[in-house]
Amino acid sequence: MKTVSQKLNNLTLQQKLTLLFALTTAVVLLVNLCIYTMINYMTGRVEQVYVSNVSLNDLGDALDDVQESMEDYLNTKSTEALEAYYRNDQAYRELVGELNTQATDNPILLAQKNIRNLSLSYLDTAAEVIQAKRNRNVELYGSLYEDAVVLCDEIHTYVYSLNNEQFKANADTYQALRRSLQGMELFSLAVLLTVILGSTVVILFTTRSAIAPLHQLAQSANEVAKGNFDIQKVEVQSTDEVGIVAGAFNQMVVSIRDYIEQLRETMERELMMQSHLKDAQLKYFQAQINPHFLFNTLNAGVQLAMMEGAERTECFLENTAEFFRYNVRMNGKDAALADEIRLVDNYVYILNVRFSGEILFQKEIDESLLDVRVPSMILQPIVENSVNYGIRGLDREGRIELDVYQEENSICISIWDNGNGMEESRIREVLEGTIQSDPVTSGSNGVGLRNVMERLQLYYKEGAKLEILSEGKDKGTEILITIPKEGSTCTV
Amino acid sequence: MKKRWISLFALLVLLALSSCGFAWMVFNSGIGESETWETYERHYAMVTDGTDSELWDRIYESALLEGKERGIYVERFGESLAVPYTRDQILDLAIKASVDGIITTGDEDEETIALIDEAVDAGIPVVTVLQDSTGSRRQCFVGCSNYSIGQEYARQILNLVEQSGDADIQDVLVLLDTDAQDASQNLILLAIRETLEESLGADSPLVVESAAIDNSRDFSPEESIRDIFLSAEELPDVLVCLNAVYTRCAYQAAVDYNNVGDVEILGYYDSDVILEAVSKGIVASTITFDAEQMGALCVQALDEYDETGYTNNYLAVDIRLIGSAEAEALLSGE
Repeated sequence: MKTVSQKLNNLTLQQKLTLLFALTTAVVLLVNLCIYTMINYMTGRVEQVYVSNVSLNDLGDALDDVQESMEDYLNTKSTEALEAYYRNDQAYRELVGELNTQATDNPILLAQKNIRNLSLSYLDTAAEVIQAKRNRNVELYGSLYEDAVVLCDEIHTYVYSLNNEQFKANADTYQALRRSLQGMELFSLAVLLTVILGSTVVILFTTRSAIAPLHQLAQSANEVAKGNFDIQKVEVQSTDEVGIVAGAFNQMVVSIRDYIEQLRETMERELMMQSHLKDAQLKYFQAQINPHFLFNTLNAGVQLAMMEGAERTECFLENTAEFFRYNVRMNGKDAALADEIRLVDNYVYILNVRFSGEILFQKEIDESLLDVRVPSMILQPIVENSVNYGIRGLDREGRIELDVYQEENSICISIWDNGNGMEESRIREVLEGTIQSDPVTSGSNGVGLRNVMERLQLYYKEGAKLEILSEGKDKGTEILITIPKEGSTCTV
Repeated sequence: MKKRWISLFALLVLLALSSCGFAWMVFNSGIGESETWETYERHYAMVTDGTDSELWDRIYESALLEGKERGIYVERFGESLAVPYTRDQILDLAIKASVDGIITTGDEDEETIALIDEAVDAGIPVVTVLQDSTGSRRQCFVGCSNYSIGQEYARQILNLVEQSGDADIQDVLVLLDTDAQDASQNLILLAIRETLEESLGADSPLVVESAAIDNSRDFSPEESIRDIFLSAEELPDVLVCLNAVYTRCAYQAAVDYNNVGDVEILGYYDSDVILEAVSKGIVASTITFDAEQMGALCVQALDEYDETGYTNNYLAVDIRLIGSAEAEALLSGE
């Protein structure tokens, strides 16, 4: 039973419905067949009712044949008549042999017995008549013939009477059979209707039970459409199409839920990144009274210097203007690594003008990486830190080196200075961000190292790394940024 | 869930099929099949004439009952035939039908005697009942003593004479069947005459006469009896009827012609109609016999003959007189 149930569960919906239809049809067919057989049998019986009358008529006809052939022989004494007589005698004996021989209280059977015995007497008499005729004993066969005629009439009367009796009995049987047949027809109709009704109910409930998971599925889908993903799993045991759809739906709901969760996290991250950018920009705007104004002013200065032929002033102002323009243009966007490097060049030029060429800035760039996209404003703050806390006030010549190179799957950006260097503990504090009010996080231009770190993390997730390397005091500091190669094309 | 529907489906099929089976049993049972019947070792034929069917019905019923107890079926031979055959023709049929025994009313007709003898020659034992064929070689006669019946009638006449005085009862008319060729009627008539003569003497004014009732045609006895009532001069004081049909005819004629009290009817047999007449006083009394005993004795005699080869030549059946009081008692079922 369990196996059958499992097999049924494994059927497809089409197979199930086909099986159901086939079964109900088979039941109706079976019942129809039974009814048909019963009615057919009863109809057959109705048709058989008067067979006994027909048999008796045959008996009477056979008796007449014997009598006629005997008379013919008596008339003609022909061989044909004698042969016909023997043939008819035999035929009549066969018919008579089928009649009842026992004494019984059934009047019809008893009449059969009497007819049988009378017929045998008649046949004996007829045989004696034939024998007497053959012996040419005229007187004897004349007398015997009269006896035979009387007996023949009497047998006819007996047959006729029995026929009447049987007809009455058969008529009763016929009526009873007709009534039964009518009853049977009505009953059959009732049974057939009941079976059809029952089958319809079974089909109705079975299809309902097969479609119930679909209904459940529809409700769940409706809930999902309304945005409610906290729904119960659609439980379906069958492995038909409904089961497959329900399973897929359950999986889909789980996937959507996970995707939404991921999306939510991403959005939160982006929001946080934007918040940091805003924060950086705010600090930048606080530091720069009006970058646009300043930028325009500087441009005016560039043009003035150009008109006056002051080339160095022009170059200085152009670099300064370039520096501020970059700040304004890259408002929260990512930039090519080349742009970032150019900004550092501008910045170092400005500082060298300001501090009379104190800073020796050297670059070693893998030019194939110049188009790599990185978050904007990440190199300048680091260089600024190197200037402010590395080489400012240094007795010897301050040197800053910018190296961009690639390793296996990553791009390395190194900003090294030969300045004051950093203690291990100091490096840890800076990296862990425990010194909030420290100037490290809020440089003169308002964009701190910490801010750079966080933006790198938001941009590359866990793929970027910022390291501070220093062998100790006066041994210089290297800020090493490692970003993934494939992530270099990400945009914020 | 699925199991439930499978079960329901199976139940539906089972229900439908069992309903069909039940319907088959209900609609098909007992139709067209003849009722059950018994088979018997022997087959006796009872052959009677067409008169007094009620009497013969009683005799036949008791014979049938007795036969069944002995494994014998007694058939009222020729009764179901569509053509009305005479008793002798039916007797002939029974012989040719090779029955195992024949119970028949007898008479002294030669043809009847010949047929009885033919049956005996064919190995079929014959018992005559009620009326004998003394000239035949029948195995047994079962009936009443006709002489005793005559004596009983005579005693009833004497009673009537005593009750009414000698002057009132002078003519006694005994209705005889012209068709009956046996001596039974003559014996009855003789017994009546002898008994009355013994009691009243030879010079008694009481005259016992007989009237021949024409029984040759259907319904002729009734006409003959009415003729007696129509001629008032011929109307006797006492009318003796020797069979049940005559008794009923006489009783009805007395009522119809308002002769109740004018003629005393002495009846025969104890059918309900006759008992009713006796209880009302229209028929003075009736003489009857035990029909059940008669039927049973016929079968016993034949069976005894079949079993042993011998039986009594004559088996007597008791006669009984029924007066008004007894008739009432019988009618009320006491």
